Amino acid sequence: MTERKAEKTNLLEVNDLKMYFPVYGGVFRSHVADVKAVDGVSFKLREGETLGLVGESGCGKSTTGKCLINLNKPTDGHILFHTQKDAAAGYKITDIKPKPVDIAKLNNDQMRPYRSEIQMIFQDPYASLNPRMTVCDIIMEPLSIHMPELSKSQMLEKVVWLMEKVGLSAEQATRYPHEFSGGQRQRIGIARALATNPRLVIADEPVSALDVSIQAQVINLMQDLQEEFGLTYIFIAHDLAVVEHISDRIAVMYLGNVVELADAATLFKTPLHPYTRALMSAIPHPDPNVKKDKRIVLQGDVPSPMKKPSGCGFRTRCPIAQNDCSDSQPPMIEVAPDHFVACPYYAIQDKN
Amino acid sequence: MANPLLQVKNLKTYFRTEAGVAKAVDGVDFEVMPGEVLGIVGESGSGKSVTSLSIMQLIPNPPGEIVDGNIIFEGTDLLAAYRQKDYDVIRKIRGNKISMIFQEPMTSLNPVFTIGDQVAESLVHHKGLNPKEARDHAVEMLELVGIPSARERINEYPHQFSGGMRQRVMIAMALSCDPSLLIADEPTTALDVTIQAQILELMLEVKAKTSNAAILLITHDMAVIAETCHRVVVMYCGRIQEIADVKTIFHSPQHPYTQGLLASLPKPGQKVRRLSTIEGIVPSLFNLPKGCSFCTRCNQKLDKCETVPPEMVETSPGHFVRCHLAKPMKSA
Repeated sequence: MTERKAEKTNLLEVNDLKMYFPVYGGVFRSHVADVKAVDGVSFKLREGETLGLVGESGCGKSTTGKCLINLNKPTDGHILFHTQKDAAAGYKITDIKPKPVDIAKLNNDQMRPYRSEIQMIFQDPYASLNPRMTVCDIIMEPLSIHMPELSKSQMLEKVVWLMEKVGLSAEQATRYPHEFSGGQRQRIGIARALATNPRLVIADEPVSALDVSIQAQVINLMQDLQEEFGLTYIFIAHDLAVVEHISDRIAVMYLGNVVELADAATLFKTPLHPYTRALMSAIPHPDPNVKKDKRIVLQGDVPSPMKKPSGCGFRTRCPIAQNDCSDSQPPMIEVAPDHFVACPYYAIQDKN
Repeated sequence: MANPLLQVKNLKTYFRTEAGVAKAVDGVDFEVMPGEVLGIVGESGSGKSVTSLSIMQLIPNPPGEIVDGNIIFEGTDLLAAYRQKDYDVIRKIRGNKISMIFQEPMTSLNPVFTIGDQVAESLVHHKGLNPKEARDHAVEMLELVGIPSARERINEYPHQFSGGMRQRVMIAMALSCDPSLLIADEPTTALDVTIQAQILELMLEVKAKTSNAAILLITHDMAVIAETCHRVVVMYCGRIQEIADVKTIFHSPQHPYTQGLLASLPKPGQKVRRLSTIEGIVPSLFNLPKGCSFCTRCNQKLDKCETVPPEMVETSPGHFVRCHLAKPMKSA
């Protein structure tokens, strides 16, 4: 996408989001520890942009995604969503811009009206579609929940329209998911997500399960739909090349924290956090002639989120760790406009 | 030119299922030279894993069966013995001269045996070491693959190891008998990028130490191929579509499938508006087109592609393409 202007309004503001999963143990199943899956994540999401969320398995990127649509009830923090639905006016879309709603504080019933505005595309197109429902039923289900005012024929019309939008044909509507290939199933998942006219779509590893040639088809489809409907995406993935391609801005996560946040081009050209640098240098390049900078191979494994190191989570593997890194969680510093790094020592590494 | 370490000739592995016969591998020919890293790349269902399992004779029968072909390893035809139901030949080679690293480090280790037992097993079996010697050698192997405090960790169980560490154990197991051919089937697919970098580096490092050992690397990731392999075999629908050295594959691919595959990759540092795609989907193995298996998705299709299956042609020395458009090189 081309450059975004800063005056874009925020759609979502995440502040110090925490999601701890309690661990019970001992004879009395008492609360012995927490898995700190997400441990203080903050970012702002602008309307119409694609924010990539990358990191290795266990870094909390999927949990963050689930918190954003209230599938996980966050332990702490705020998720301010700039909704168009006014609770006072019976969740109708009115001219008056309603106050943003804090998704982190809602229960299931309170959340339901807003679900039509935030939808999700799941990773595994084999597991996220009910095998006993036809494609038509699958896509119609969100319609019958969120738009009960539509008549049956209007809904059918919309299903057919959606299927055509995602590149399926109307006669496939009566088929079951097992009759489709992985890429087609992911298209069904996308059609289902778009059924309620959402403004924000959270895509959790939407192309990871697909073959390379199919992956490109689905990515192009997602970009086309974004342009047509003005969607905002949060694109969660571990494949950095894919994330770079689709994202306007990228947040890199490590052990439950965002360690670096910048626009895609900057992040790939001048990564600053030592973890981002290692991650970037580890990407294999699909061209045998490209001269690579020396690869930074990180030692060891990611620590368990149950026993997070004190202070900076990355310090146990960090090539430039200092003595005081264990003192406290480093704050995000804005080193350049819109480029945030959670490392006070990022400048050191250039000297070595 | 040196003799090839492994020759696969006209390998056909079919699966008989209720829906019909799936020709998972249908006439595959290639060679692995001593000391080289040969990559096999293809999408799911292209037959790359079945090829490797056929070499190891690990195809479950039924439903699978190696119906034709020769697999000649260091001069012996492994399939000749297989057809006479003489399984001792492969048993002596499997895990010894040819060993394999599997994709899933989580499921390919036995959860009820310690790491030490599992690494030592092939040493006792193939090298005739006594249990104590085998254990000592297992510790050495684990140290070689970079497992810290190996002597203590040898008594631990797989669940106590992380994914990257388990894959290291798999590599230690595979290398323990000094194999001359290492088959790595998607060795890093289940791993994170930084761990993937560690494991690939390790595999090449260990290979550098043991001269003449060859690696057959099976993956769907073109970038991994670009970084590690000398030659590349591109498979699609059970057939080899193109073979060439790695630079040729990436810079002058001739098969439309290889071209499409490379074009559809997002390239780090080069942002494009749209990715180019290969239209359509992989045809079902039960219902392959009569001619070229890629003709349903090919953007350079000729009329005869639908009916006449193309032959492999050598377009320049060492560069083989299965396409009607390919021009055979002029014989001198």
